[in-house]
Amino acid sequence: MRIGRRGGLRGLAGAAALAAMPRDAGAQTRAETLRQVTGNTINTLDLTMPGATRESFGIGMQVYDRLVAFGKKPVLGGFSFDHTNIRGELAESYTVSPDGTRFTFRIRRDSKWHDGTPVTAEDVKWSLDRHVSANSLAKSQLQISNWVSPDQFRILDPMTVEAVLAKPDRRGLMNLCVPYVIMINSTLAKKHATADDPWAQQWMKENTAGGGAYTVESNRPGEQLILRRNDAWKNGPEGKLPFFRRIIAQTVPEAATRASLVERGDADLSIDLLASDVPALQQRGRVKIFSTPIANGFTHIAFNTRMAPFDNVKVRQAIGAAMPYEDMFQASIFGRGRKLYGGNWSELPPDASFPRPMPQHTDLARAKRLLTEAGFADGFRTTFSFSAGQAAAMEPLAALVKEALARIGIQVELQKMPDAQFNTAQAEKRLPMFVDGATAWLPETDYYVRLYFTRDQRWNFSNYNNPEINALTEAAQFELDPVKYEAMCRRMVGILAQEMPELFLWQPNFEAVMARNLEGFTYQYYRQIDFRDLSRA
Amino acid sequence: MSATLRHVGWVLRGNPVTALAAAGATALVLLAAFAPWIMPYDPIASNVPKALQPPSWDHWAGTDQLGRDIFSRLLAAARLDLAIAASAVSLSFVVGAVIGAWCGYTGGAVDRAVGRVVDVLMAFPLFVLAMAMVAALGNRVENIILATAIINLPFYIRFARAEVNIRRDLGWVEAARACGDSHLSVVLRFLLPNVLPAMAVQISLNLGWAILNAAGLSFIGLGVTAPTPEWGIMVAEGARFITTGKWWLVAMPGLALMLTVLCFNLLGDGLRDMLDPRMRT
Amino acid sequence: MRALRSAGRRVGGRLLASLPALFGVVVLTFLLMRVLPGDPAVFFASGPTAGQEEIEALRKELGLDQPIPIQLVRYLGDIAHGNLGRSLTTGQPVMTDLRRRLPASLELTFSALALALSLALPLGILAALRPGSLLDHAVRLVCTMGVCVPTFVSGLLLVYVFYVVLGIAPDPTGRIDIFASSRPEITGFLLVDFALMGDWEGWWAAASQLILPASTMALFVLAPLARMTRASMLAVLGSDFIRTARSLGLAEGRVIVVYALRNALVPVLTITGIVFSTMLGANVLVEKVFSWPGVASYALDALLASDYAPVQGFVLLMASIFVLVNLTVDLLYGLADPRATAA
Repeated sequence: MRIGRRGGLRGLAGAAALAAMPRDAGAQTRAETLRQVTGNTINTLDLTMPGATRESFGIGMQVYDRLVAFGKKPVLGGFSFDHTNIRGELAESYTVSPDGTRFTFRIRRDSKWHDGTPVTAEDVKWSLDRHVSANSLAKSQLQISNWVSPDQFRILDPMTVEAVLAKPDRRGLMNLCVPYVIMINSTLAKKHATADDPWAQQWMKENTAGGGAYTVESNRPGEQLILRRNDAWKNGPEGKLPFFRRIIAQTVPEAATRASLVERGDADLSIDLLASDVPALQQRGRVKIFSTPIANGFTHIAFNTRMAPFDNVKVRQAIGAAMPYEDMFQASIFGRGRKLYGGNWSELPPDASFPRPMPQHTDLARAKRLLTEAGFADGFRTTFSFSAGQAAAMEPLAALVKEALARIGIQVELQKMPDAQFNTAQAEKRLPMFVDGATAWLPETDYYVRLYFTRDQRWNFSNYNNPEINALTEAAQFELDPVKYEAMCRRMVGILAQEMPELFLWQPNFEAVMARNLEGFTYQYYRQIDFRDLSRA
Repeated sequence: MSATLRHVGWVLRGNPVTALAAAGATALVLLAAFAPWIMPYDPIASNVPKALQPPSWDHWAGTDQLGRDIFSRLLAAARLDLAIAASAVSLSFVVGAVIGAWCGYTGGAVDRAVGRVVDVLMAFPLFVLAMAMVAALGNRVENIILATAIINLPFYIRFARAEVNIRRDLGWVEAARACGDSHLSVVLRFLLPNVLPAMAVQISLNLGWAILNAAGLSFIGLGVTAPTPEWGIMVAEGARFITTGKWWLVAMPGLALMLTVLCFNLLGDGLRDMLDPRMRT
Repeated sequence: MRALRSAGRRVGGRLLASLPALFGVVVLTFLLMRVLPGDPAVFFASGPTAGQEEIEALRKELGLDQPIPIQLVRYLGDIAHGNLGRSLTTGQPVMTDLRRRLPASLELTFSALALALSLALPLGILAALRPGSLLDHAVRLVCTMGVCVPTFVSGLLLVYVFYVVLGIAPDPTGRIDIFASSRPEITGFLLVDFALMGDWEGWWAAASQLILPASTMALFVLAPLARMTRASMLAVLGSDFIRTARSLGLAEGRVIVVYALRNALVPVLTITGIVFSTMLGANVLVEKVFSWPGVASYALDALLASDYAPVQGFVLLMASIFVLVNLTVDLLYGLADPRATAA
């Protein structure tokens, strides 16, 4: 009896040894492995799936290639993406017709998918068709630049694909670089397509069919995901392979722990530490910190411009003059960012760039006067909301807002809401006044304004409707003449400064805290890490 | 009466820890009561240039991220925390005692129905239930009180029910009924007063627990909203600074929280010893 | 044989009797989640271009466009088929997630409980042997202090001291060193798995990851266990049969361990059962601080995202475990005190 049990045990152990993950035979040293720690999770391998987290976008960039990609430009301490410089990725080269409506992509001759099969024009066409047809995040993204139908994509020869727009669009090509527009191994994906799911969306949530720089070695959702380098990858700049052979992206919910891990050298990189930790880490000097203002985003206080009393522009201006901007900037993000208040202009901005410092200044006397003119000499009661997930930065800010508005007679009740509730109330336009952050992937002035200040849609935070802005954004999208475009954009920004549907506060720093020997960090507009750029000295 | 007092005195002398806890709890309640007159600074007024200063003569417990005086905030928070704990516990105590006593006395269908509801509540993971309730109702003080009260309720109901149930057929209860007292009056005048002392011990233990519960809710972002000073949220915010060397942000409110809970727990323990002769060898 | 059959019948009866409570738990959680003002569809449809269309599509996919009674009936039907829905947070079926994460939570809780008992029993006995002494008060003070510190604070402090400052603890991220190349998947309990494979290096790696979180939790439950041990030991030590045993001249150690402790264990067992169920549900904060991939932190993330299915699945799981633990405690009574079975 006893012997039998022991034998059984041994059998079990043997089975377990087989089931366990294969040992790496020491092929990859610690130096060639990068360990990233993050507070969030990767919830799908198909980043176009509705509900995909931002971390999933980051992984999707490594596993899949796009036809074209943004270049990069040097900034202090590293690099930043450059959307004005577009290179071929899976496409060896591309041409644009003189009228700006026809794009021709030549696929790299020797490109292979992860399974070793060659990349063909069929694959590219199928991928683009999927993005404009299937119900996914790619579909709405591509609509922005009027990529709406499979008819717009044609196979010219086995290695060439043409994409055609009805009208020239400023963002026609740019939009093909965004994370969603992945190129898929269509032969593999089609094997897993069903009648209900012709685009294999179910299968691709858990499996990959790409040809990018990395493959997924293992995935434990909510814990860790491990990437392995695809040594056959040739689509990088100058065809170079990424430095790291293996990437571990691990979920560590506690921010203080993430900071300690990087500082002690157990982890290599984290991009979501608390603003309060970064100055201390910098002071102790055991890590390298890459800081750059999130150039394609802004933190803002939004008013519901269709809800009394915020439908009154004077009330918004009064609040704009009552804010203690400097104190908020220090207390909320420890001064780590670029200010978007205190702009030294009125009526029209000096150039078309946006986000930019707006002419908002702290002036209590003016605030009181404006409020009296608006008919609220005795103030009023309202609420100010922020999401619990951003509480570290927003709670101190909210306390200052409450204190400042009390000085001009406005009684504010603060509401800290769990993230899902906050987002729901925000989307349903039920909040009178709140603070939040926003980023746009394609950082062009008219795109910001169109995305955040027009139409009845989720991202029109301030529920804003201004006929002139609407008309300007409609026209600017198709305006290729730089002089006319600039005039339009300056007008839009001028209106926003005057009307104050939102108060612009700052661009917080994107802070990547990393081991001192890491090099080549590039800030990306989707605020994730492009592991392909990194190396260890 | 004097015998009881003498007994209390004897227990306190024999148990210095309980005496200390009683003194601490009293001091705490007094501090909270007179907080507005003791506070050196306005606990809510910000002073950003003086943010994050270590303890000094001007600021005994240092300042926080907005330059507010932590010592003043601790005092203001004592009021709120004690109020939350006291109202939550008394709510569950009163409701639990009445429902439990009635069920224990009458038995029957009502008793069975209440028993089922209590079973359901007991089977819930309590902290998650509190989290869900606060998330659903909104994180206001009154909802935190309500959630804390509800997750305590089953224990009080069970306790009161069991205690009343063993007593309801005793001679003196029969006698009261025979004298023409109504059921309600029997429960309220004869049974409840006999059950209350044993339940009162639970109150003291639960007070400390209720404060910790509120702190835990704050840590995951479901606590009282700023700028209201509350220990739990101060600890939770301070915990973010543990690795930055700004120890006073977590240590000061943490100490206040710990001492308070300690006092209540030790007091509850001591009270139990006093009431339960079996444990008082 | 008859005893066995009666025990079996008792177990079956108890399980049947717990069904209404479980049903109540399921319905109550379901309703509570629908009362949450957050809309998971809005939260998860938050790509930079997500519009009303995406939100509606996601809502339809989740079945949220149906009236609540219909959703409830569907959900109950799904449960009957062993399907707990899909998590939006991890993108996996809830059943898969829970099955993978439950061993992590259980291993942590068992370790913490073992640690707590190994401290609480001796301390409680010591205190009971000299009631009212300085030792008794010291034990009481020390144990009570453990309950007074919120677990997230004691956890962070332990990490700070043992990992950041002293550097003797492994990095507090999950169950095993991330660079360890292999990880057995037999039972999901790493200590058991490594022992089965005879990989003692791995076993030690897993055990050392457990020490800090288990200590954090153990500190918190020391007080009730030690207090109950003391109280019931006191009661037993004062009873006639102990006095008889002593007067017969039996060795003091033998009297305490064999006669007194065995009889004092029954109330301790009850409280241990309660402590265990509470710990399993309440270790949310510990799991958060130590990046422990357990079920409670899973439910918390889901709750904050208004992701219904994981929270509902978690609560149902906890309630079932609660029922099982109560049952186990009942059966153990029988072992500790044979009279309980006869009754």
